Amino acid sequence: MNRPVGREVLLETRGLSRLYPDGQVQALRDVSLSIHLGEYVAIMGPSGSGKSTLLTALGAIDRPTTGEVLFAGQPLSQHPNLDALRATQIGFVFQSFHLLPTLTAVENVQIPMFEMPWSSTQRTSRARDLLEQVGMSHRCDHLPSRLSVGERQRVAIARALANRPQLLLADEPTGNLDSQTAEEILALFANLHQTIGMTLVIVTHSDEVARSAQRCIRLRDGRVVEDSGTVVS
Amino acid sequence: MHFATLLFKNLLRRKTRSLLTCCGVAIAVGTTVVLLGITDSFERATVHAFEGRGVDLVVIEEGVIDQLSSDLDEKMVQRVARLPEVKDVAPGLLDLAAFPALGSTVTALVQGWEVQGFLLQGLKITSGQGLTEPNQHAAIIGKGLADSLQKQPGDSLEIEGETFEIVGIFESFTPAENSGVVIPLPQMQRIKYRPERVTGFSVVVRQDGGDTAAVDRVRRQISKLVDEQGKSGRMVAQPVRDYVQASGHIRIAHAMAWMTSVIAIVVGAIGMLNTMIMSVVERVREISILRAIGWKKSRVIRMILGESLIISMVGATLGSLGAIVLSQGLARWPAVQGMIDGSIGPPIVAMGFLMSTLLGLVGGVYPALRAARLLPAEGLRHE
Ligand SMILES: Nc1ncnc2c1ncn2[C@@H]1O[C@H](COP(=O)(O)OP(=O)(O)O)[C@@H](O)[C@H]1O
Ligand SMILES: [Mg+2]
Repeated sequence: MNRPVGREVLLETRGLSRLYPDGQVQALRDVSLSIHLGEYVAIMGPSGSGKSTLLTALGAIDRPTTGEVLFAGQPLSQHPNLDALRATQIGFVFQSFHLLPTLTAVENVQIPMFEMPWSSTQRTSRARDLLEQVGMSHRCDHLPSRLSVGERQRVAIARALANRPQLLLADEPTGNLDSQTAEEILALFANLHQTIGMTLVIVTHSDEVARSAQRCIRLRDGRVVEDSGTVVS
Repeated sequence: MHFATLLFKNLLRRKTRSLLTCCGVAIAVGTTVVLLGITDSFERATVHAFEGRGVDLVVIEEGVIDQLSSDLDEKMVQRVARLPEVKDVAPGLLDLAAFPALGSTVTALVQGWEVQGFLLQGLKITSGQGLTEPNQHAAIIGKGLADSLQKQPGDSLEIEGETFEIVGIFESFTPAENSGVVIPLPQMQRIKYRPERVTGFSVVVRQDGGDTAAVDRVRRQISKLVDEQGKSGRMVAQPVRDYVQASGHIRIAHAMAWMTSVIAIVVGAIGMLNTMIMSVVERVREISILRAIGWKKSRVIRMILGESLIISMVGATLGSLGAIVLSQGLARWPAVQGMIDGSIGPPIVAMGFLMSTLLGLVGGVYPALRAARLLPAEGLRHE
């Protein structure tokens, strides 16, 4: 596979472990990997293998028990402002969208923008642009309850892109979608990767997603068992 | 979208709950504004009764809380009148009396005043005539009292078992006096068995060219005055505002108004706390998602506090409007006729809004901090 060599490392994990105290579940065991700027990575593995745990650690949402995550070379444990990092550098797409039910599509997209020094008009016009980018310009003023699941996921992706992040993380973004819609969402990711060189890390069960990615990391019982076809013992 | 839009939309999610909490705040603020408004209005009316006559100082016995319990020698009034900077003095002997009205009794202030004194000049006789003779068994009554007792000039009035003829009905420049009775000072001294005694007197100071320091000089001279035997006159002279604020019933009214307001505000704050805690608890997942997509703790705090402040400001607006309407109604109630004018000044409404802001902050701070403590990962559990 075409692993980008010599390119800047955006994300790196060193000996990452995560023990959930309630139930004594070891969700991650000694995970070390690097993800380069502009890479499109799929994370696969059976349910309960630690994919979501890894993704939240990469996204500075959850803290590992031991080990370290480095974002652009900087250890997250020593990062002065993880909120700002999440707000401006990382976009996160959740499996169940998590849109605010009382806000319209265009308002939902603006939620992360409150952390930026933008005016209300700037926020609105940027949100409309983003919705257009994900093919939702005709649904700007709809509430999430009036949208189909595929449309909700598009709004959630637009929200993840709100503050021009370097990195987009998505946890089973097509898990709740029918295959037709899933394909459209995938095309959207592929497009982001190709046109603006967005770094993408996507957790998925789907082989199709894995195929559209450049690299596939497979987890089992919290361990990396395969990285792009290479079996890691 | 403005941040405020988000707050409003959050509140509209639970319309009934938000509205009920607003009502709780409105009742708390309304109570505060009405009570503070009434005491303020009462205080202003009392001050007006003196200041409207140009009175600078009120003299009462040292160590008592108001005129009702004060006792001074009438001769001391003459000594004060002789001070070079004193322009005029007006002694009075006053007490409360009860009069039978239709099926109930009406309590009114009975004032014994000098028939030549400047106090009577503030009263306009609307029917009958004024007081002219110190020895007359005559009384004039305020029009408010005349209405509630259904009396006219020529009717008689029993005071302390003595029959007085009502010679006139008056209307005072200050409505508070319209529910009172005035009789000549010697008559009052006689029926009260207090010859040559007064409860207090008002002093007008000569202030040439706006010499306000003169008032203070006279005040100090009065407190040092001695009687014929060289004993202290036991008098204190106070500027009108100080006298009114220090007087017992005004202080009790203030204390009760504040006490009740504080209780109302505390109850309102508990209601707010309850609402906001519930609101945070039902949005745990949502709030941690906001944190996960980059919201700072402080923004979460601003959201929750903003919501509680919106509720408290809407409540304060409703409560103040309600209070204004209620006071207007109260002012027309016969029992308080003339004592309060029903107007609520901007400072009182501002005080209501200040209390409401405190209520909003007190009720919102704990839920907001609780919301800010939620971990970003919380919302993704068991996804
Ligand atoms: N918040 C949590 N508390 C306790 N155990 C958890 C928590 N989140 C996940 N786990 C456990 O950790 C393991 C890995 O979970 P997860 O990362 O969600 O796996 P995946 O996303 O691959 O299905 C599972 O056994 C899961 O039950
Ligand atoms: Mg998962």
